[in-house]
Amino acid sequence: MNWNCTLTEERLSDYLDRQMAPEEAAAFSAHAAGCNGCTRLVAQVGGLVRSMQALEPVREPSYLVSKILGATTGARPEKPGWKRRLGWVPMLWQPRFAMGAVTAFAALLIVLHFGGVTPGKVKRADLTPAGMWRSANRQVHLAYARSVKFVNDLRVVYEIQSALQRTPPAQEQEPASEPKSESPSSRPEQKSQTEPRPRSQVRTGIMVAALLNEPAWSLR
Amino acid sequence: MRRHTRRVYGICYRFTGNAAEAEDLSQEVFLRIYRTLRSYQPAFGGFPTWLTSVTRNLLVDHYRRTRRDRMTDSIEDAMPQLEERHSTARTPDRLAHAAELSQQLQRALARLSPELREAVILRDLQQLEYNEIQSVLQVPSGTVKSRINRGRIELARVLEEMGVRPE
Repeated sequence: MNWNCTLTEERLSDYLDRQMAPEEAAAFSAHAAGCNGCTRLVAQVGGLVRSMQALEPVREPSYLVSKILGATTGARPEKPGWKRRLGWVPMLWQPRFAMGAVTAFAALLIVLHFGGVTPGKVKRADLTPAGMWRSANRQVHLAYARSVKFVNDLRVVYEIQSALQRTPPAQEQEPASEPKSESPSSRPEQKSQTEPRPRSQVRTGIMVAALLNEPAWSLR
Repeated sequence: MRRHTRRVYGICYRFTGNAAEAEDLSQEVFLRIYRTLRSYQPAFGGFPTWLTSVTRNLLVDHYRRTRRDRMTDSIEDAMPQLEERHSTARTPDRLAHAAELSQQLQRALARLSPELREAVILRDLQQLEYNEIQSVLQVPSGTVKSRINRGRIELARVLEEMGVRPE
């Protein structure tokens, strides 16, 4: 096989990387052995390739891996500031957060309702700390007074119920004659004597009176 | 992760000859990888080849972008002393010699055209196979062989001009 200096230069890497057919490699070696220029070229490039392949890889700075991890798995630097700040908004559309928000809103409405706050009627003056304190204080006292009244009413009702249960049936006609002396003008005497009120109606009257915080006997 | 980072940083550093630029480019490579991970196909030739390909494309973009700057600034002024620092801690002659050769090689690489430079870096410094380089560069195998060969010969000539003779 004829070989020349141009071929040596063109196929040098094939020779060095052993990518050459045996007969080509033999012709290459035979030519290079007899040609000073080619011998020098092969030695020079061969030495360079061996040196480069023996070089240690370039060491990266020690902080580079953590810097890259921070840049890739952490915040995305390409996002503008406002997008980064509002990044949590899409999360609210998840069902669990939406349900939580609805529940919290409902709870707030219930608290406001029981606290006596009507959203449409709130004035600017009510929003001062003193105004809010006054309003809260008032609501607490009102709630306390209502609960005291309720408990008292309940006690009266139970007292009356137990008193009625203790009363023997023979004495049941007695209350019908009592109003005669207290309010004779409101009821005809004869009617009250001939048509006594049924027991259930009397009991209802007592209970209503108790709830209205009136003396029970006033309706009898 | 560290192995991939070293590979990417090595290519970037050898191509640009600047530690700070190599660092920024490495980070950019991984950001691009992170964003385009869905487009990765194992059939392409394995993750390292894909990584190298992304790195190479970014380096080409960077080279085009900074072409004007390089006209005025000498790349040698920005040469980092990174490897020298590593070698001076342990001072056997062989390591010192390797570090010196590495720096001289870096200066010589900077004088090669980008096509020849990347081919030599991938073949001799990253030790990729010819078919892998073909996948990365997306050029025919004949072109890959030709670029590697011309790059090596050119590099040897530049080193000779600099008075360096690798053993």
